[in-house]
Amino acid sequence: MRTAGKARLAPVYIALVLLAAISVIPFLWMLATSFKHGSDVYTKVPSLLPLDRKTGEWSPTLENYEHVLQVGGLGQAFLNSVWVCLILVPGKLLVDALAAYAFARIPFPGRDKLFVVLLAGMMVPTITLLVPRIHVTQALGMFDSGWGLILPNVASVLDIFLLRQFFMSLPGELEEAARIDGAGRMQIFWRIIIPLSKPVLAVVTITSFIFHWNDLVWPLVVLNDPELYTLPLALQQLASSESGRAYYIMAGAALAVIPVIVVLLIFQRRIMQGIAFTGLKS
Amino acid sequence: MASPVLADKPAVTPLPGRRRRPGSGRRDHVIGWLLIAPAVIYFVIFLLYPALAALYYSFTDWNLRSAPNWVGPANYFDLLFDDVRYPHFWKSIRVTLQYTLIAVPLTLVTALAQALLINTIRRGSNLFRLLLFLPVVTAEAAVGAIWRWLYDPQYGLVNSFLGLFGIPGQNWLNTPELVIPALSFIAAWQCGISMIIYLAGLKGIPDSIREAAIIDGAGPVQRFRRIVVPMLRPTTFYLLVTGVIAALQVFGLVYVIFSGGGGRSVTGGPEQSGLTYVLHLYLFAFRYDAMGAACAMSFILFLFIMIITALQFRFVKQEAS
Repeated sequence: MRTAGKARLAPVYIALVLLAAISVIPFLWMLATSFKHGSDVYTKVPSLLPLDRKTGEWSPTLENYEHVLQVGGLGQAFLNSVWVCLILVPGKLLVDALAAYAFARIPFPGRDKLFVVLLAGMMVPTITLLVPRIHVTQALGMFDSGWGLILPNVASVLDIFLLRQFFMSLPGELEEAARIDGAGRMQIFWRIIIPLSKPVLAVVTITSFIFHWNDLVWPLVVLNDPELYTLPLALQQLASSESGRAYYIMAGAALAVIPVIVVLLIFQRRIMQGIAFTGLKS
Repeated sequence: MASPVLADKPAVTPLPGRRRRPGSGRRDHVIGWLLIAPAVIYFVIFLLYPALAALYYSFTDWNLRSAPNWVGPANYFDLLFDDVRYPHFWKSIRVTLQYTLIAVPLTLVTALAQALLINTIRRGSNLFRLLLFLPVVTAEAAVGAIWRWLYDPQYGLVNSFLGLFGIPGQNWLNTPELVIPALSFIAAWQCGISMIIYLAGLKGIPDSIREAAIIDGAGPVQRFRRIVVPMLRPTTFYLLVTGVIAALQVFGLVYVIFSGGGGRSVTGGPEQSGLTYVLHLYLFAFRYDAMGAACAMSFILFLFIMIITALQFRFVKQEAS
């Protein structure tokens, strides 16, 4: 490849810059619109910068954000989303990791058959489960409540599967030695398995945060009270009620998008590895 | 921590996993059950029961207002044959198949092109990978909002960009023929996961094979056709199957895109051109309270997905033998 030389790579870079532009410009357009004064948004020649429509001068504003956060209810929704993720993501990780540990390491009768049943459950499409799940949530008295958002999502067969695969790949000698030293199963779990599994735990945590932060469908069917709306649901509502005001909608979209992009920037390597791993495994 | 000390021990116990101290077996069973209990309770309440309940409801006339009555396979027959009660059922299938046939290949081709380009370069490959991945982590609600604004017939960026080349602007989301292509373009915009998986596949092709081909005088096109495409076949196949299964269930994006303006009046776009199967199902379940029919629809979809999955396994077995 060295002989290929830099000149031959030029077309490759040009193509990549064009593709990256298609990928990124919608976000720049979103940001630009969100910082524009209402009167500067609807112009014949669109601008990717918040410029004054008459003078063409730099004139960004924060009033769209103020409006959607306070009047549009997105401030409350942002906090709701943060709370849901703060409880749901660690809770789910704990439930999944405990089960995965038992499935990987603690032999008991019927264990492997049970695991196969769980895996078979993964085949059922979410939409099939949606209607009865609402019914179950109602029967448990959790409809239209924070717990109704959290509990019906508090475990994931896919995550149990991934964690089990990883736990099974850990060397058994460490555990065996700890047992001979008198350590119980739970001690082994917290002191040996968890510290050794940080990479895979990180992948599961990050992907589950992204999923639940973005999730629209479950909050859409389980919530009625606007006070409880999560960010995607509130954004969806805003997009309907303010459909003629792109500057408000784009400010709302930016609020939903930016936290996830920050997480992506911080953990990009982990996320990419996780996808390549889970993708090729299945 | 304790682990370095513990790490020295295995030499003493040559058969790890075999030696159990007496009495630890039964306690192990209890602990094992305790650890999986939360997950199993969850599984029974939120997966197993709903799946069985949905199957039962699909044979009833349940509409939330009265208790479900058993009606046998009537829902299934009505969905398939009664176009007065369900005038858009077949339309929703056509829309979904059209979307699948356009969006999935477009996504795979885009993803493969991106992966090949990134795999060629060294400097900046992480940056490009990151930028091309951004659309994937974006919430559906935001994707829908952003693209409605991009496709805006008067002020949207898409039309002004096309205008640069003298192409007249279109009313993308309000012209029945353009709805599916417009949605498919968004799907291809979000192809980042396939791109990452293709990249992993490309990294798996040994350098020696490519170098041998170069020595034998194979050009880039020949190398692509004779080496890259065949070696990536398992990856492509996996992405194709998962892509088709996902496309058949597309919902969030169409819901967001076609629910603006009228608040609760989701119709599935102009002349139902964006009425996908799951959107149609959702409307019957949560707008018209026709839970029985909605559950029947969901099982027709489930069956269809099972058939595709079974075909996939068959195909893979044939490949292997």
